[in-house]
Amino acid sequence: MMGTPGKYGRRRWVVLGIGILFLLCAKDLGLTPSGLIPPDATRWDRAGSFFSAAFNPAFDYEDPNVPDDADPIWIKGIKGVFLTLKFALGAMSLAVPAALVMGFFGSSSWWPEPRGRLLNGVLRTIYVSCRFLMSLLRSIHELIWALLILSAFGVSPLAGMVALALPFSGTLGKVFSELIDEETREAATALKAIGHRPVQTFLVGTLPGALPNLITYSFYRFECALRSSAVLGFVGIETIGLYIELSHEEFYYREVWTYFYLLLALIVVVDLWGAGIRKRLNADSGGCRV
Amino acid sequence: MSERVRQLRRNREKSVFLRISAVLLLSGIAWAWLTSRPLLGRLSAERRWENFQSFVSELGPSPVRKSGDWSEAAPWAWDLLTDEGFVALVTTLGIATSAIILSATFVLPLLPLASRQLSRPSPFGLWAGKMGFVAEGFRKTVGPVVRFGFVLARAVPEYILAFLLISLLGLQVWPLVLALAIHNLGILGRLWGEVVENAEAAPAVQALASGQSRYGVFLSRLLPANFNRFLIYFFYRWETCVKDATVLGMLGLLTLGKLIALSKGFFWDQMFFYILLGASVILLGDLFSTFLRRRLR
Repeated sequence: MMGTPGKYGRRRWVVLGIGILFLLCAKDLGLTPSGLIPPDATRWDRAGSFFSAAFNPAFDYEDPNVPDDADPIWIKGIKGVFLTLKFALGAMSLAVPAALVMGFFGSSSWWPEPRGRLLNGVLRTIYVSCRFLMSLLRSIHELIWALLILSAFGVSPLAGMVALALPFSGTLGKVFSELIDEETREAATALKAIGHRPVQTFLVGTLPGALPNLITYSFYRFECALRSSAVLGFVGIETIGLYIELSHEEFYYREVWTYFYLLLALIVVVDLWGAGIRKRLNADSGGCRV
Repeated sequence: MSERVRQLRRNREKSVFLRISAVLLLSGIAWAWLTSRPLLGRLSAERRWENFQSFVSELGPSPVRKSGDWSEAAPWAWDLLTDEGFVALVTTLGIATSAIILSATFVLPLLPLASRQLSRPSPFGLWAGKMGFVAEGFRKTVGPVVRFGFVLARAVPEYILAFLLISLLGLQVWPLVLALAIHNLGILGRLWGEVVENAEAAPAVQALASGQSRYGVFLSRLLPANFNRFLIYFFYRWETCVKDATVLGMLGLLTLGKLIALSKGFFWDQMFFYILLGASVILLGDLFSTFLRRRLR
């Protein structure tokens, strides 16, 4: 794998090529170091007040027009965190079952053997169309799905959940199918040899081995769903992202940081939770699976 | 036989942590479904159906809708492409590519500091010489600090980051590139960190024992031996960046996202066209990246 002089040479060219690619992109986009400095005095002030607010998040509303009987800001923030969590959970509960079905039909290790030409053709057609469907679902970003679905059906929690669940089911399904196909075949072969039917072989011989990885990958996508549901706040779904946007529009930067810290806390906690699950299930992180 | 099965079942590995996790997740899902009211929004069912019908009827290209002749679709599409579509496409790809290269550049030198084996007073368990109080304290803390920095960087959704940066730096390409770069810094940090962690230890231990520094070991042993694995993750994240760069344009820069956001509500047919254009680019990027990653494996 390593050690041959030719490979060393190739690595050098790859790095060089990536460097040149960066320069080309930077030139095309007009990325110059001066662009990193806020362009005028107002922006400087704004940047200054924004970042100083980071050390001074709001414990009380900056907005003078908040009614007296409103929740204190940290309660509102925590409610926002729970709304984000709820939304992500709802979306994942739609995405995972859909992905299991698509993942099954998008994998080939359960195909009976030997099989006739007709059966082979049918299975192949299902396989290819399922994989195509998953790619299609995946290649439209959840924000765009949200835009389409909310325009078509109006704003509602269910529409938002479906919008998030569609691309996630595509991603999950693709990874599920690959995890199933990568699973070692020894157990399945043994079961088949003593007369089990293909579906039994799959359910008993293949699926249990792949299960830890399926679970940890689903959890990893749950972490992603949390981030995405915060982002969907920007298109009007009530999650903490909506609060961030509204406060930011009014330049209440200290409020922005309060919400921001709560969101960060949520994501970091779930990240650590996921690490705990991975460790106990002894599975890889599956981070690079899509 | 069944007694034996029962015995096996009793003695299987159990984890309280996993059980509590499962209960929490399942009850969370039930809570999400039972408390999201009104689940279907406030519109009546007929109203929603009308909405949907008018939405679908406006998705077809406008000249085709007028004349009913699909041969007019091609010039219409070509106009949209040459007008702004191509420029938006190139910008999208440029933003994604420069962002991922930028974050790779910053992650690489941080990896020896983040590695669980290298970044400690005795790397790979080897005694690394006498150390002062300060040096030892540094070696003990730097690893967790850098790793937590990665967690924070990936915790911020890139869209929110870009939104905040635009208000500070003005409407230009940098905020989008930076937002993607920061978020991916955290993700590459974790993925590449795992590569280093799972790497074969023997060559690194040997080099350390013969007196190489931590960075020396990383550059001469760990990095070259796992180069392909690094590239696989690099291309995987590039592919995700392309997808994210598309929508970041919705914040107002000329990528496909902007065209989609602008035509929303008035020119549904154009919006649909740009969405399909974006999807096909992502699909191509996806195929390209999958092909490269397969070859590198």
